[in-house]
Amino acid sequence: MKKIYALLMTLGLTMTATGQTLNVRVGSVVYQFPADQTGEMTYTDGKKLTIMGRTFKLSDIDEMTVDASEVKNNLVKVEYGTSSAMVYVAGNVASYVLPVVTGGHVDIAQSNTAAVDDDEIIYQLSGSSADGSLTLSGSYKCTVSLAGVTLTNPDGAAINIANSKRIQISAKKGTTNSLTDGAEGAQKACIYSKGQIQLQGNGTLNVVGKSKHAIKSASYISIKNLTLNVTSAVSDGINCEEYLQVKSGVVTISGVGDDGIQCDLGGESSTGETEDHEDEDTGNIYVEGGTLTVTTTVAATKGIKAQGDLRISDGTLTVNTTGNGTYDSDDKDAKGCACLKTDANMVISGGQLTLKSTGTGGKCIKADGTMTVTGGIINATTTGGTYSYSSSKAQPKAIKIDGNMLVEGGSITATSSGHEAIETKGTLTVNDGTVYAFSSSDDAINASSHMYLKGGNVTGVSNANDGIDTNGNMYIEGGTIIACGSGEPECGLDAAERYKLYIKGGTVLGIGGGNNTVTSTSGSQCVLSTTGSPTAGTTVSVKNGSTTLATFTVPTGYSPKSGGGGMGGPGGMRPGGGQSGSTKFSYLLSCPGLTSGTNYTVTIGSSSSSCRAATSYSGR
Amino acid sequence: MAGTLPTQAEDYPYLTFELTDGAKASVAVDGLTLNINGTTLTVGQETFTISNLTKMYFSETDETTGSADGIDEVKTDESLLDNAEIYDLKGRKVTRAQMQKGVYIVKTKERTYKIMVR
Repeated sequence: MKKIYALLMTLGLTMTATGQTLNVRVGSVVYQFPADQTGEMTYTDGKKLTIMGRTFKLSDIDEMTVDASEVKNNLVKVEYGTSSAMVYVAGNVASYVLPVVTGGHVDIAQSNTAAVDDDEIIYQLSGSSADGSLTLSGSYKCTVSLAGVTLTNPDGAAINIANSKRIQISAKKGTTNSLTDGAEGAQKACIYSKGQIQLQGNGTLNVVGKSKHAIKSASYISIKNLTLNVTSAVSDGINCEEYLQVKSGVVTISGVGDDGIQCDLGGESSTGETEDHEDEDTGNIYVEGGTLTVTTTVAATKGIKAQGDLRISDGTLTVNTTGNGTYDSDDKDAKGCACLKTDANMVISGGQLTLKSTGTGGKCIKADGTMTVTGGIINATTTGGTYSYSSSKAQPKAIKIDGNMLVEGGSITATSSGHEAIETKGTLTVNDGTVYAFSSSDDAINASSHMYLKGGNVTGVSNANDGIDTNGNMYIEGGTIIACGSGEPECGLDAAERYKLYIKGGTVLGIGGGNNTVTSTSGSQCVLSTTGSPTAGTTVSVKNGSTTLATFTVPTGYSPKSGGGGMGGPGGMRPGGGQSGSTKFSYLLSCPGLTSGTNYTVTIGSSSSSCRAATSYSGR
Repeated sequence: MAGTLPTQAEDYPYLTFELTDGAKASVAVDGLTLNINGTTLTVGQETFTISNLTKMYFSETDETTGSADGIDEVKTDESLLDNAEIYDLKGRKVTRAQMQKGVYIVKTKERTYKIMVR
C-alpha cells in the first residue's frame, strides 16, 4: 500500500474512495469511515465504539449512517454556514483530529507527529460565516485549503494557527476566498500562524486585518502562484520573521496603516542565507517572481521593509508611498516613507521595479547597508520636499544608500525633485549597466566617498546642482559618462576639494557652471574643454578631421539655472573662459583616441570650435 | 499533474454485528441508519442491546448466523420466542398460534431477528 501511496504522491494524486461509508456524527462533526478501511469496529463495555483507532463514547454519538459518500484520505472538510459549521473528518485521520465546533468557530487539535498514510492532513474550508473562524493546534505540518470560503470573526483571527510547523494555506484554483478579523480582538493578524506559512494555490485570497496585521507568521512566509489581496490592515499587510520569499503570484497590498510588507529577524542574530533557506533566520526578503503591487499612504511607512537583506531577482514590483515624513520620538529623528527599505543590504539582479514616493522626506530605495545591482529595470521617482521637525530633517531621495553602491548591470532611472536622485554614503562603483539620475534641486548623483566609473552608461542631470558629485576622488576608467550640472558654482563632474578627478578611459561629457580639475596621472586619457549653451537635445561631437571620435546628446530635461561658464582650458590655459551669469556653460569632454597637444573639433549643435587635448584640465 | 484519483472500493453491502455469544447478524447497508437509544442500537430492523455487541464490520456477504439470508431457523428451541413480539413481513403483529410457514420478524429485549417457520 505504501508503494501505491508513493506513486500517487509522485503523480500529485490523492486517493478518494467510493463505496460504502460509515458516517459517525458527533454534534457538528462527522467522521467518515470508508468501508474498505474500517476493519473491525469494536464495542467496549456497551459504552464505547472504536473505529480506525478513534474511540467514541456511544452516548456522544448523535447519528450513524451508511451511505456512498466519497471520502478523500487525509481530508478534513469544514463547511461554514451563517453562524454554524460542519466538520467532516476522513476516517484515516479521525484518530488524530479532534474538532470542537462552537457556532461558526472551529477549533481543531491535531495530534499526529508524522505523516498519515504518507501525507499531511488537509483542512478544506468552504462556505460563508459572518461569525466564524478556524483555530488549529498541533505539532506536525498541515495544509489549509481554501475552497471558496468567506469568514469574518468579529472577536479574533479568522484563521489562527498555533501549530509551529510548516502550514500551507492554499487557495483552490478558481475560488475566491475572503477573510476578515475583528477590530476588538487581541489577535496579531487576520491570518496568524506560529509556524511557517506557505501561501499558494491558483485561487484568490482577500484579507482584511482590523486589529493589527492582515497576515502574520512568527516564522517565515513564502508566496507562490496565489492571487493575494490585502485590502486593509491596521498595521502591516504581511508581517513575518526569519525570511519572506515571493516566488510567483499576484500580490496586491493597500489600505495598510503601517508597512506593506515587513520581515524581521526572528532571533538575536542572523544565520545568514542557507541552502534552500533551511532553518534560515535572516530577516531577508527575496522577491524571485510574480507581480507585487504595494501602496502605502500613512506617514513614514515603508512599502517593503526587511530587517535583513532585500534581494530581488525577478518579478514586477510596483510600490507607491504617498505619506509624508514624521518625527519618530523613539529614535528622535525625522523619518520619511520608503518604497523599499532594508536595514541591511539591497541586491537587485532582475525584475522590473517601478517605485514612487510622493510625500515629504520620501525615498524609493533606502538601504542602511550596501546596494548591488546586477540586473533588472529600476524606475524610482520622488516628488516630495524635505520634511523638517525642529532641526531634524528627512530628505526625499530616489535612492539613498548608507554603504557602498555597486552597479554591474541592469538599468536604473532615478528622479528626484527634492534632493539627490542617487546618494550613497559610501563609494559608488559602476562597472556595467545603465544609470540615469535626474534631480531638479540637488546633485543628480552623489557619493560621500570615492566614485569609480568603469563601464556602462552613467548619466547625471541636475538643474540646480552638480550632475555627478563625489566627496572623494572620482575615477573614470570606462563607459559612457554624461554629467550635466547647473550654472556656476555647480559642476557637471565634481569631486570634493582636496580630492581629485582622474580620467583614464571612457567617453565623457561634463556640462555645468564648471567642471572639476582633471588631474594627470599615469595612463590618463586626454580631455578637451570648451563652452556652449546647455540645451537639451543638442548633439555634441568630437572629431579629428572628418573622423568622429565621440558623439553625445545633451539629455532631455536638462534645463539648468543660468550661471557661470567654463572655468578653464586644457593644461590650465583657460581657452574657454568663464562668463559668469551668461548662458555659456563649461563643456569637458574625453574619449579614446585623443592625443595630447593635438587640436580636435568640438561641435555643440551648430557651433564648432577647435580644442587642444591635454591630460589635465584646470577646472574651478 | 495533480488531482484526485477516485478508486472503486470493494463493495461491502452488509454491516455485520457480532454479539458476545458469537452470533452474527448482517444488515444490508443500503441507506442504513444506526440509531443509539440508551442501551440499544437499532440498525434497520435489527435492534441490539449494545452491551451484547462486541464488534461490527463491513462484509461482502450476509454472515448472519444460521442462514446466509439472515434468517435464523428455529427447530427445537421454541423458548426463543418467549416474551418476544412477532411480526410478519407486512409488519402485522401475530401470535405464535397464528404463525404459518414463512418468514417472521422477532423482536426481543436483546435483539431483533428473522426466523423461518417450515
